[in-house]
Amino acid sequence: MSKIICSAAIQGAHKIVSMAEVKCDEALEKWGPDQNIGFPNTTYYLPVIYAMLGTPVETLGNAREVLNKCKTLLPAIVKDESWLPSLDSALEAGMSTLFAEEILEAIKYLEKPDCYTKTEDPLIDNIWLGAADDVIMRKRGVEFVDGSAPGFAIILGAAPTTEIAVKIAIELQEKNLYVLMCADHDGKTMSEQLIEAGVQIGWSTRLVSFGQSYTAGVFAVGFAVRAAMSFGGIKPGDFDGNLLFCRGGIFAFIITLGAITEEWVANAAGAINWGVPIIADAPAPKLVVPEICDYELITGDISHDQIVQKAIDVRGLKIKISKIDIPMSYGPAFEGERIRKEDLYFECGGGKTLGVELTVSKDMSEVEDGKIEIIGPDIDEVKEGGSLPFGILIEVAGRQMQPDFEPILERQIHHLVNYIQGVMHIGQRSIMWLRIGKAAAEKGFLLKHLGKVIHAKYHQEFSNIVDKVQVTIYTKEKKVRELLESAKNVYVQRDKRVEGMVDETEETFYSCTLCQSFAPSHVCIITPERTGMCGAYNWLDCKASNEINPTGPNQPIAKGECFDTVKGQWKKINDFVSRASGRKVEKVNAYSLMEFPMTACGCFECVATILPMCNGVMVVNRDFMGMTPSGMKFTTLAGLAGGGNQTPGFLGISKHYICSRKFIKAEGGLKRVVWLPKMLKEEISGLIKPICEDIGIPDFLDMIADETVGFTEEEILPFLQEKGHPALAMGALI
Amino acid sequence: MRIDIPRVAYTGTIKEITLGRNKNKITIGGESCYPFHLFEGTMPNPPKIAMEVYDSAPEDWPDSAMEPFADVVDDPVAWARKCIDVYGAEMIALQMASTDPNGKNIPADKAAAIAKKVSDEIEVPLIIWGCENVDKDTEVLRSICEICEGRDLIIGPVVEGNYRAIGATAIAYNHTVIASTPIDINLAKQLNILLGNLNVPDDKIIIDPSIGPIGYGLEYTYSVMERIRVAALTQEDERLQYPIILNLAKEVWKIKEVNVSETEAPLYGHKKSRGVLFEALTAQCMLMAGANILIMRHPEAIGLVKESIKDLMNS
Amino acid sequence: MGLSGIEIFKKLPKTNCGKCGVPTCLAFAMKLATGQAELDACPDISENVKEEIGLASAPPVRTVVIGIGERATKIGGETVLFRHEKRFENPPAFTLLLSDNMDDLEISSRLSGFNNAVYERVSVVMKPELVAIRGDSADPLRFNTLVEKICNETDAGLILMNEDVEALSQAVRKCSGRKPLIYAATMENYEILGSLALELSCPLAVKGDGLEELADVCDKLIGMGLKDLVLDSGARNALEDQIIIRRCALMKKTKAFGFPTIVFPCLMTGNLMKETIIACQMIAKYGGIIVLSEIEGYSIFPLLLARMNIFTDPQRPMTVEEKIYEIGAVNENSPVLITGNFSLTYFIVSGEVEASHVPAYLLIKDTEGLSVLTAWAAGKFGADTIALFVKKSGIEEKIKHRRLVIPGYLAAISGELEEELPDWEILIGPREASHLPAYLKQLSA
Repeated sequence: MSKIICSAAIQGAHKIVSMAEVKCDEALEKWGPDQNIGFPNTTYYLPVIYAMLGTPVETLGNAREVLNKCKTLLPAIVKDESWLPSLDSALEAGMSTLFAEEILEAIKYLEKPDCYTKTEDPLIDNIWLGAADDVIMRKRGVEFVDGSAPGFAIILGAAPTTEIAVKIAIELQEKNLYVLMCADHDGKTMSEQLIEAGVQIGWSTRLVSFGQSYTAGVFAVGFAVRAAMSFGGIKPGDFDGNLLFCRGGIFAFIITLGAITEEWVANAAGAINWGVPIIADAPAPKLVVPEICDYELITGDISHDQIVQKAIDVRGLKIKISKIDIPMSYGPAFEGERIRKEDLYFECGGGKTLGVELTVSKDMSEVEDGKIEIIGPDIDEVKEGGSLPFGILIEVAGRQMQPDFEPILERQIHHLVNYIQGVMHIGQRSIMWLRIGKAAAEKGFLLKHLGKVIHAKYHQEFSNIVDKVQVTIYTKEKKVRELLESAKNVYVQRDKRVEGMVDETEETFYSCTLCQSFAPSHVCIITPERTGMCGAYNWLDCKASNEINPTGPNQPIAKGECFDTVKGQWKKINDFVSRASGRKVEKVNAYSLMEFPMTACGCFECVATILPMCNGVMVVNRDFMGMTPSGMKFTTLAGLAGGGNQTPGFLGISKHYICSRKFIKAEGGLKRVVWLPKMLKEEISGLIKPICEDIGIPDFLDMIADETVGFTEEEILPFLQEKGHPALAMGALI
Repeated sequence: MRIDIPRVAYTGTIKEITLGRNKNKITIGGESCYPFHLFEGTMPNPPKIAMEVYDSAPEDWPDSAMEPFADVVDDPVAWARKCIDVYGAEMIALQMASTDPNGKNIPADKAAAIAKKVSDEIEVPLIIWGCENVDKDTEVLRSICEICEGRDLIIGPVVEGNYRAIGATAIAYNHTVIASTPIDINLAKQLNILLGNLNVPDDKIIIDPSIGPIGYGLEYTYSVMERIRVAALTQEDERLQYPIILNLAKEVWKIKEVNVSETEAPLYGHKKSRGVLFEALTAQCMLMAGANILIMRHPEAIGLVKESIKDLMNS
Repeated sequence: MGLSGIEIFKKLPKTNCGKCGVPTCLAFAMKLATGQAELDACPDISENVKEEIGLASAPPVRTVVIGIGERATKIGGETVLFRHEKRFENPPAFTLLLSDNMDDLEISSRLSGFNNAVYERVSVVMKPELVAIRGDSADPLRFNTLVEKICNETDAGLILMNEDVEALSQAVRKCSGRKPLIYAATMENYEILGSLALELSCPLAVKGDGLEELADVCDKLIGMGLKDLVLDSGARNALEDQIIIRRCALMKKTKAFGFPTIVFPCLMTGNLMKETIIACQMIAKYGGIIVLSEIEGYSIFPLLLARMNIFTDPQRPMTVEEKIYEIGAVNENSPVLITGNFSLTYFIVSGEVEASHVPAYLLIKDTEGLSVLTAWAAGKFGADTIALFVKKSGIEEKIKHRRLVIPGYLAAISGELEEELPDWEILIGPREASHLPAYLKQLSA
């Protein structure tokens, strides 16, 4: 911690503690040690002292004892040029400051019982509300816990002009933050500035005028510590517990307006204990303390139009958007709407014009949340039946965002846009197709509304990974082409990333227990090379799903020691499956059909089973209704493979997994496959090529029998013999 | 031949939860074995029955269900008193049916006033059950939590869509929450984890796995409950070691087979006894699967189930 | 459970001859493993192998059959403690108890209650299965006469109960062709009744005074070569004994307890309502035969439903028939709704439609018992298949309008469906069935 800050904090703390001692002794003189003191209507005594020390301060005598303790806590004033005060000493100085201020404020209540209004809103002759009582704390505290208020801003000082004060207040208010104001700058306070400008203040508008002095700032901390005790189950006196709860659960920050005094620094040092960062308009040295939190605790020299956004970025506030402001209805009921030719007003993509969609992640500083820009004409500049080239670039940023999540967010565009009444969306990437109906155009629907929808829904549905969303829509051919080119690069990179991932190099696999409602002992293990059998979840999807919903059905499993590389068995995977299956399945081989195969639910795309006479394996997909050489149809096979039981010889799999290098590796891999329905062959022909080349038989698909060859083992065996199918020469399958 | 009883190796216990205040406190949970498997564990607190009371007179009840309450259905306080004084109810469940936006849609403050009145006039633990509309329940249950501070209510259903808002309010005013999920063990567990993350204390959570009455999906509830108990008692699954509540009467008494008259369907037999048995058998199956609180309606069904609990506890 | 399908397969002839009725030996092996086929269906299997497989794949609780022909009732065959582990196999047989002390009027009234209690639900017929005749009169003739009378008046499976071994044997001999359950062998009489049961190949109930004596008698009978036993521990509050018997059979493979049980709620109380509650406990916890004093509609109907619920295969959803269901007094303007044939979906949706008091046509499409979303994901409830069904269902002849309400969760296919059914307007219903009454009221307003 910078020496200047530490010395200033300690200096300020000394001043405030001394002041409290003087005041307290005067009061003792006047009322004696048994005089009751306290804040109105609270069961938490002087809350910061109570929360931190567990000491209920009920009398002046108690207060004096706390002040004595403060003296022992207070580090010496920094005089020696060579001595570097420690961070801890500054934090302790800050803590003593807050204790002293609570006592100062309590004495104020004693001396002048109506110095504060004790109401929720200001009175005509008194605008200072003072400490929040327990009723306010509970009512408002709930909003912090349930997320309807993302946090609170403590403002010290006053803005240079009334206009700036109003602008800052409104900006904070719009983000649903509570604004807790105290301290003057050059004799002015922000609260007074707001009243001057005719802004209504009070708890009901979330603009709270705590008090005129900086000492009233302790009411904000008093609010937070009580919330921790009330909502967090933190016990009084649980010093660390309280600090940790607030750091993780109560999103507060301080904005200072005006020159920073030693007293302010002392207060700030107190607040830093709870992880509350300070954003100042005045110059101030940067401060990062990794032991407390991973963000900057002091940031200075921020301009007034940046200061709110900066504070939100620094503290990592999650923005809530409850209403999507577009002229059309929005909801899942509109997902399947078609816009037919006769209803069409406008379209883009779909082969008619260039079209491209891209979601990319950026650094926090590169994205301006809520910015929606249209480069080129919008719908209102196009005649009915017209079209435009279309490129949409969505830039997102977030502390938990990872480039791996880009494609998952990008895929959401389809349903998010389809939920808009009168808008139809098909496809993705550069094959997207967008149609806007006449009714929507009449109601004033514009392309910028697409941006609004995506901005709002990304925040609503992916708040765990997305902090900021910015949307740019291009409708000029040249710009769209540029975006398309860069998007193509991104797509190639992404596809390579997915293709390049192998089980050996990833330490974490994912579980999926989504289907346990009907197959209680089934646990899907999803690895980079074995996608979920339903075909809907690959490894990346699970990773994102876990990040978005950490307690959900996709849990990360560190795979642990590998017991068998060929069959694909790991210690920690076994442990997880055993627990999650309720001890029904103790061992799983991820790459085996015959020995401890993975269980299946019922919603797999295909079933693999053995054809003993051919010494091989067949795979049949759900859509193939006919008989198979196993003597069973898909539905019968599905009954055997599913239900969460390990049934050697029967495996529920995705189509994608057939094309994996880990496909039934234990039984010899792809070379074992002797029969596939024709439609399945065609569907996977592209993906499977590289594997066929891998095994040295580029035209391997032609060796595999299908229903045109036969429906029984007897019928297909001669075909396999004629083709010289490798399975016939492999070791016995059973 | 000596019979060596194969015993289950229990590793967990259901959490004990105390409901209500003062001398009418009731403790539920605490069992260390499967339901009524008393030869290998204990059930310190037998399952309890809460009698339901509606916030306004119900319109679609069959006569047989209405008859015992006909004189009090217009007044929730009188209704609750009758349940306690005449039928010996140990708990009351106030069903806030008229808050339903698809029905009477009474506003939250009005609903809260009704709840407050009932809570002021009775001593036994009070369950408040919302209309099962996520947003309206948030509004209504929050108001009730605030206005009934100090009453230690049991409020629900708290679902994934409103657990933060209702959970936070419940913490603030010290009420117990009913964590409700749609017949799925994993969702039940997840909601309990989320409530825990929100700092709802462990002794303030009750699981509602959602009820299907007999003939209408009972088996799903039954198996989810058995699975919850297996996981809680033998697989160290701490986030499932909570008592279970079932709001069953309102689901039972609306089904077709209960409401059809004996003249229309002679083979279904006497209408009132049939209704009573549909309710009692649904309750009985739930007891066998691990229920701790049953919300019930008909005094005769309640009598039968109470007697059955007594017999099972003494066997 | 014994051998896996693959292990059984290895022992089969591997000829794919098809004589067993299944195209391949693998398919046959899997049917054996899941208990859907009998070993005898394979003509080419040696006796040795047969025994090997048979023993290994026999369920830990023996399946016992009482009665013959259409009224043959299977009990036992259970393999699990909890239904979610796999499924419960054979529902407990509800049994009416008649005594030779009753007068004719009472007998016939109770018997007609039994015979009338036949209910159909989701194309499954539910009814009580057995009649127990107990000799209480100490008059062998009276007992025999009653047995004869009952044999004439019902073809249900029978349980013959008499402490007078002589009278019992006489009665059993008379109707042994009906494969009655003989009740009951005890420590005192097991040799006589055991030989009788062996001779006539009838199932035999065993009654002990407590579990230990029960096990002893069973062991003796097993030693005599009896296979089809039914257990009565004598306890008249039976839950604990039921659990212990099932656990011993499953977890310890205790041979003496590897049989279904018989329980007597009718002897535990004199009140039919209470008796019904006790019977319900025994459905959940392991009763094999549940003997009741009376069969009244109001008591047996909910019991049958509870039994059906508990004995539904958790992995195989129950389905209802694909067709048009008319709810209320429909006319040509009534709304038309469609959903899948998962029985629970049907019950809930039809219940809500009924509750709305808006008469409506409910189209149930075969989705193989999958719920709406799962069916859609599995391609069984897509626009093409729905359109096909709507066209061939005949609904177009019944109504004047052309509006179809689809489940809210299927909103995504509405456009496609409109293309497949060009004459129809597709309306998006609510996602939850409970919102149907409000939706239908609004629709018809």
